[in-house]
Amino acid sequence: MPAAPASRQDLPLLLVGTDHRCAPLELRERVSYAGEAAEELLVHLLARPELGEAVLLSTCNRTEVYVKPRQDEGSYQAVLELAFSSRVPEITEEGRLYVKRGLEAARHLMGVASGLQSMVLGEPEIHGQVKQAATLADAVGTSGTLLRKMFQAALKAGSRARTETAITGGAVSLGYATVELVKAIFKHIEATRILVIGAGETGRLATRNLLDKGAQRITVTNRSADRLADFLEEFPTVDTVDFDQRNSAITVSDLVVVTTGASEPVVTAADVRSAMGRRPGHPLLLVDLGVPRNIEPAASRTENVFLHDIDSLEKLIQRNLKRRREEIPQVEEILEQELDHLNGWFRGLEAEPLIARLQKQAEKVRRQELQSALGNFPPETHDQLDRLTRALVRKILHHPSMRLRGRDGRDTLPHLDLVRELFKLDDEDE
Amino acid sequence: MSSLETFLSAAIILLPLTYLLAALAYGWLFFAGTERAKRLSTPLLLTGLFLHVAFLAALTFHWAQFPAGDVSQALSVVAFAVGLTYLLVEWRGRDRSTGFWIVSVIFFIQLLSSILRQPEAVAQSALLKNAIFAAHAFLALVAYAAFVMAAAYGFLFLRLYRELKSGLFALFYGKLPPLAALERMMAGALHIGWLALTGAVAIGIFNGYQRYGESGESWVADPMILLTLATWSLYGLALLLRRTQQWQGRQTAIVSVAGLCAILLSLVAVNFLVGNFHSLGPATGQT
Repeated sequence: MPAAPASRQDLPLLLVGTDHRCAPLELRERVSYAGEAAEELLVHLLARPELGEAVLLSTCNRTEVYVKPRQDEGSYQAVLELAFSSRVPEITEEGRLYVKRGLEAARHLMGVASGLQSMVLGEPEIHGQVKQAATLADAVGTSGTLLRKMFQAALKAGSRARTETAITGGAVSLGYATVELVKAIFKHIEATRILVIGAGETGRLATRNLLDKGAQRITVTNRSADRLADFLEEFPTVDTVDFDQRNSAITVSDLVVVTTGASEPVVTAADVRSAMGRRPGHPLLLVDLGVPRNIEPAASRTENVFLHDIDSLEKLIQRNLKRRREEIPQVEEILEQELDHLNGWFRGLEAEPLIARLQKQAEKVRRQELQSALGNFPPETHDQLDRLTRALVRKILHHPSMRLRGRDGRDTLPHLDLVRELFKLDDEDE
Repeated sequence: MSSLETFLSAAIILLPLTYLLAALAYGWLFFAGTERAKRLSTPLLLTGLFLHVAFLAALTFHWAQFPAGDVSQALSVVAFAVGLTYLLVEWRGRDRSTGFWIVSVIFFIQLLSSILRQPEAVAQSALLKNAIFAAHAFLALVAYAAFVMAAAYGFLFLRLYRELKSGLFALFYGKLPPLAALERMMAGALHIGWLALTGAVAIGIFNGYQRYGESGESWVADPMILLTLATWSLYGLALLLRRTQQWQGRQTAIVSVAGLCAILLSLVAVNFLVGNFHSLGPATGQT
C-alpha cells in the first residue's frame, strides 16, 4: 500500500523580507547589506533574546531575514527594527514587506534558490548568493541546526531544479542570445572568429558575455582610438583592427557584432555581399545591436548570411522565457518533495528526545524487574537473562521508535503528547 | 509453410512496426524531451535492428543469395544500413536530436519494402550468389543508405536554415546540432555515398564485361544500371559544383533531398514497370 502523505508540522521559522516586486530600487538599496554591515546585522539579531538563529540573504533584488524565534512574541518586531525600519522607516508601509512563517518560509526560500522568485525567471546567480548567505551565517555563528538544514534543503531544491528541469535553459539577455545563436550555427564558440564593431558599453557587454561563454578569437574595432584603448584595458586578450579595415575583417569572421552610435549603417549590404564572395561556403552571423540599425537590412538577403537585430533577439529571449515558464510546475513539484524531506527531518528531530526518554524508561523497568527475578534463577543463567531482556526491550521499542522518527515512510504519530502520556514520560527519574 | 517462411512473413510486419515505435519514441524525445522517452528510444531502435539482422540472415539463408533479389529486399538492406549508421552516429556523438527524423525515414523505407514484397518475384540469380557481384550489390546499397542519410540531414539543414534566417525560432531551433555540423554530416554522407557508388559501378562494369563481353547491349540497357548511372552522375555533379562553384550548404541540401526522392520514385517505378530488379542473366539454377 502506498504511504499516505505525511502531515506537516510547522517549523519554528520566521521570514521577513522585501524584494523587487514590493519595493522600488530606492527603498531596496537602503536595506541592502554587504560585507561588514551584513555581519554586524547578524550579530545584533542574535543578541536579541527573542531570536535563536538568524541568516541574512541580501542581493540587489531582495533582502530577506530568516530567523528561528525563541519565542513568538517579539521576534517579528526584533527583525523589523534591526534590519528594516531602523534604516528605512517607510518600508513598514503596507505591501513593502512580506512575512512568512514555518513551512511557507522554507518553501519561499526554496523558490528563491530555484530562481522562481527572480526578476528574470530561472536566473542561476541566486543559487550562489543563497549559498553565500548560509556560509556567512555559519562563519559568524548565527545559524544553527534548523536554519542550516533549511538552507541545505533550499540549495538542494535549487540544484535539482537546475539539473532536472529547463528552468535555467535558453538565453534571456541580448548578450547571451547572441552566444546562443553562435552555438546554433557554428559548432564551437571557442573556434568562432568574432569581430566586434563598436567599443562602447553595449560592445563591452557583448564581449564580456562572449568571453564568459568561452570565446577565444575576438577582434574589436572602433572609430575612436581613445575608446578602443579603454576597451583594451578591460579586455587585454582581444585583438584590434583599424576601423577602415573592418570589411576585410568581416571576410575572415564568423560572427560580427555591430554596436555603434552611428546614424547611418556602418556595414552595407554590398559590403556583406563582397565579403561572402571572398569566403564562399562559410556562414556569417551578423548581430546588429545598434539603434538606429548599423547594418543594412538588405544584407540578410545574401545566401548563408544570418542577420539579427534587437527585435529578433528579443523574440528569441521571449521564446526562451516562455519555455522557462512552462517548467514552473515541474520545479514546484521538486520544491514539494524537498519540503517533505525537510518536514520529515524536523519531525524526527522533535521525536529524538522523546525516544531517548522512552528507551530510558524501558531500560529502568527492565533492570528493576530483572533484579527482582534473578534470585529465582541459577547464577550461570544471569548473563543470558540480561541479554534476553535487553533484546526483548529493543525489539518491542523498535517499531514505535521508527514510527516516531517518521522513517518507515508512513505518517508519524501526530501527537507526541499522547505518547508522553501513554508511557508517563513526563515523570522525573527516581 | 516452413518456420523460416513463417518468420519472414511475421518479420515483414514486425519490422516496420518496431521502427514506427522507435520513431515515435524519438519523436517524443524531440518534442517533449522527457527522460522516459530517452530510455525508450535507443532500446527500441536496437530491437528493430536485431530483428532486422535476423530477417536479413533468414532471407539470405532462404534464397541462398545476398538479399538483393528484388526492390523490396534492396530497400530493406538500405533501411538496415541507415539504422546501423545512425546508431553509430548517435553513439559517437551522444546526440539523439536527429533520431526522430532518421528513424522515421528508416520506418518509411522498411514500410515501402514490406509493401512491395513479392516473394514469388524474387530473382534467383547466379549473380547474387557470386561474391564479386555480392560486393557490388553491397556497395550500391551502402551508397543508397548514405544518400538517405544525406537527404535526412539535408532536410534538417534546410529547416534550421530557414528558422535561423527568418528569426522564427520555431520547432527546429535549439533542438538540432548546429547548422555547420548538419552541413558536415550531410556532405560527409554524400561523399561516402558517391564513393561507395563509384565502387559499385566499377565492379558492376567489370562484372558486366566479364559476363557479356564487349557487346554491352544486353546489360547496359538494364533499368537498374541506367538508374544507378544517373544517380552517380547527379551526385557526382553536385559534389563537383560544391567544390568548383562553391555551392553553399543550402544548394547541396536541396540536391540531397531531391536526389533521394527521385531515387525512391524511380525504384518503385522500375519495380512496377519492369517487375524485376536488375533483370540480369537467366533465372534460378542457370548460369
